[in-house]
Amino acid sequence: MKLNRLAISEEGFIFDPETGNSYTVNETGLKVLKALRAGQSPSEIAEALSEEFEISVPEALRDVEEFLESLKRFRLWEES
Amino acid sequence: MIKVAVSGINAVDNPGPGLGIIKGLRQGKIPVAPIGLAYDAMEPGIYLDHLVERAYLMPYPSEGEAPFLNRLLYIKEKEGLEVVIPALDAELPLFIDLESRLSAYGIKSFLPTKEQFRLRAKDRLQEVARRIGIKIPQTLAVTSIKELEEALSELSFPVMIKGLFYKALKAYTPAEAQQYFYSIAAEWGYPVLVQEVVEGEEVNVVGVGDGEGGHFGLLAIKKLWITSLGKIWTGVTITHSGLLKAAEDFVRAYAWRGAFELEVIAQDEDLYLVEINPRFPAWIYFAVGVGINLPERLLAAALGQEPERSWDYPAGKLYIRFTDDLVTELEVFQHMVTRGER
Amino acid sequence: MKKPYQKPTIVKLQIGTLREQKSALAQRVRFEIDGVPVKDLLQKFGSPLFVFSEKRLREQFRYAKRLFETHYPRVEFSWSYKTNYLDAICRIFHQEGATAEVVSEFEYEKARRLGVPGEKIIFNGPYKPRTILKKAVEEGARIHVDSMDEILDLEEIAKELERKISIGIRLNLDTGIYPRWDRFGFNLESGEALQVVQRIAAGGQLEIVGLHCHQGTFILEPAAYGRAAEKLLGFAQKLEEAFGWTIEYLDLGGGFPSRNRLKGLYLPPEVAVPPLSEYAESIAKALLSNLNSRDYPLLILESGRALVDEAGFLITTVQAVKRLPDGRRAYVLDAGVNLLFTAFWYHFRVDLGEEVLGPPEPSVLYGPLCMNIDVVEEAVNLPPLSRGVPLVLSPVGAYNVTQWMQFITYRPRVILITEKGEAEVIREAETLEDLVRLERVPAHLR
Ligand SMILES: Cc1ncc(COP(=O)(O)O)c(C=O)c1O
Repeated sequence: MKLNRLAISEEGFIFDPETGNSYTVNETGLKVLKALRAGQSPSEIAEALSEEFEISVPEALRDVEEFLESLKRFRLWEES
Repeated sequence: MIKVAVSGINAVDNPGPGLGIIKGLRQGKIPVAPIGLAYDAMEPGIYLDHLVERAYLMPYPSEGEAPFLNRLLYIKEKEGLEVVIPALDAELPLFIDLESRLSAYGIKSFLPTKEQFRLRAKDRLQEVARRIGIKIPQTLAVTSIKELEEALSELSFPVMIKGLFYKALKAYTPAEAQQYFYSIAAEWGYPVLVQEVVEGEEVNVVGVGDGEGGHFGLLAIKKLWITSLGKIWTGVTITHSGLLKAAEDFVRAYAWRGAFELEVIAQDEDLYLVEINPRFPAWIYFAVGVGINLPERLLAAALGQEPERSWDYPAGKLYIRFTDDLVTELEVFQHMVTRGER
Repeated sequence: MKKPYQKPTIVKLQIGTLREQKSALAQRVRFEIDGVPVKDLLQKFGSPLFVFSEKRLREQFRYAKRLFETHYPRVEFSWSYKTNYLDAICRIFHQEGATAEVVSEFEYEKARRLGVPGEKIIFNGPYKPRTILKKAVEEGARIHVDSMDEILDLEEIAKELERKISIGIRLNLDTGIYPRWDRFGFNLESGEALQVVQRIAAGGQLEIVGLHCHQGTFILEPAAYGRAAEKLLGFAQKLEEAFGWTIEYLDLGGGFPSRNRLKGLYLPPEVAVPPLSEYAESIAKALLSNLNSRDYPLLILESGRALVDEAGFLITTVQAVKRLPDGRRAYVLDAGVNLLFTAFWYHFRVDLGEEVLGPPEPSVLYGPLCMNIDVVEEAVNLPPLSRGVPLVLSPVGAYNVTQWMQFITYRPRVILITEKGEAEVIREAETLEDLVRLERVPAHLR
């Protein structure tokens, strides 16, 4: 998985050692990224977000999917 | 230690004056801790910690006065900022507008007034030149293709096509002139200026006005080698008396306050004013190198001290710009991006 | 207690865009307008919604009036109807003492309907239909002629009424402002104006009592007004000497800027837009230093934008969230260029109507129209928004609620927040009935 190669700082700074690209993520973005890396599914992640933050599961799921779209656009994620 | 913030630390192929200013400040007698103000996390000055003690990202001036002021106040709170020396055209109007408010918060500066700043508009050059007894290349303000054609019939090619504040392109044919007219109008609006090209030596003078008609030193130079972007690469000091007199007349006539640079073309005995920059030029370190530390004098003036005024310098001192390399950690970049400071 | 949520985002770092962004964003929230929560307004009146502040209208008017009166002894403000002719808005300005400046039959009739007497109306514009022109003459309006044909009309009317008519003439002149609005009135520098005046004097039916000019709109150069004032005054003195008329007033038109962000201007309006006081100083200085012991002529100002723009807001709501093929974030709003005609020239301030956390990203704001040109903002830095987030756009008080268009959808409500802080509807939302009321279907199509 491409996500595994990323260097992720706790401040939300992401460095891709293969392409040299850098990214930033916010707090929830960091959580989603780590969860994806740990192999969790979007709905599992949405539920975890909803547990911790002021957000409903369906809304969180929509946002996680949007986040995945961004990862795809950056070629950091491919459909398995 | 005086905490002084300096912008323009973008030492790239079209460099800002910031690092030259900082080198001058560091060589002066007033102990300083320079703080770099940057508009992008990749500005080279951020990474040069032997020159720039601390670096902060700034919001763009275009984003409004309040964010800009708040950011400066934040830096004041974190660093105990005492003086700011802005060095970029785009931010100057904000600093000028904010000068008294910043001063009330304990952040001093030494800037031209709003009225003085307006003199840099190309359509004011005529009046400035007349007042200080020099010429300007024949210049016509045009707002339509018809007026452009009329202007071109009065001048001979090549001509300069210029925006009111920025941009100057040399046109060799009517078609080129038209194309530049459209592109400048689209970018910088009307009027567009059509200017005769005066053959001669391109000479410049830099100085700091005291705001009362006097100055804290002048330096005149000639650019010997310029890059394809029109930036100085090597230069030499000159003591052109007409040029220095014009600069003194300029300072006296307008009681200029703060840094300035005049760009002039010298043709035998005649001088033609082409541009007024209300700030230090990128080659300001040249002045420091020949013993006229204008950045330090400006700092002293901002602090309310009486700066030195002597400005004897020899003609024939050489200025060489050169490139350098630095290898460092990605961490600084990371901090600039995530925290906006280092 | 759960933590406040931010949409998860990842942003690719690109050199040239890595400036400081939080300071600007922190300024970008507006929970209320004159103390009334945006949320409440939306709930009660729906989205989108135009909101005007009575307090701001009156304060700005009083400020401008006082400012000019401290610089020059005789000043009249004439409310430029085209800038915003909602009844409630006009009434506020009339209550504050403004006369009416109109440029069409419709505007003239609207001013009369609001109870403005003819002599308190200035009638400008390049086309004044014959019947309304005659009515305006009879009612004593100040008519500013724009063309020779109009002069002929007025001479005829004078004959019909068997009396001499006092008029003003519109001049266009070089004050260093581009583009030059030289299609209105008569040119001063070319000598056209003087010729026309000679013609008027020879006709013997009309007499000139006022001079008018209007240089354009959003004029950022106070000195241009000084030049205009000086030229008008010089011309007035010439006419008085040559024809024995008394030029009672000089009308410098409108054109003062509001603190809006004109496209193409880099600096923020706080810095780019000169304060109104510089305009007042420039005009007063030009008049006072050129009067030559003559009486003070009345100075008329037809300022529109500068009085009303900043009192107007548009609340709109994010209706869809998109990613464009080039990766930019985009939002579809329920208000577009149909309601915001001035979006073609100005970058509005975009404030969030509720707090939204998260890193800002340049975003495109689209309106609801099915046309590619329906873009409210090309690139405004916003945190990640979800559907339903309200945005408050400002300043939008000038020219939008007059130039808005009814295209594929209804125009929304306009409300006024009164000085007491109450929200009153001043224009209802359009309904299907409103829009079809004027339509007729021929029998064979029924
Ligand atoms: C004759 C006249 N007067 C006044 C105005 C009002 O201008 P502004 O809103 O720029 O003050 C206009 C606007 O076009 C105008 O044409």
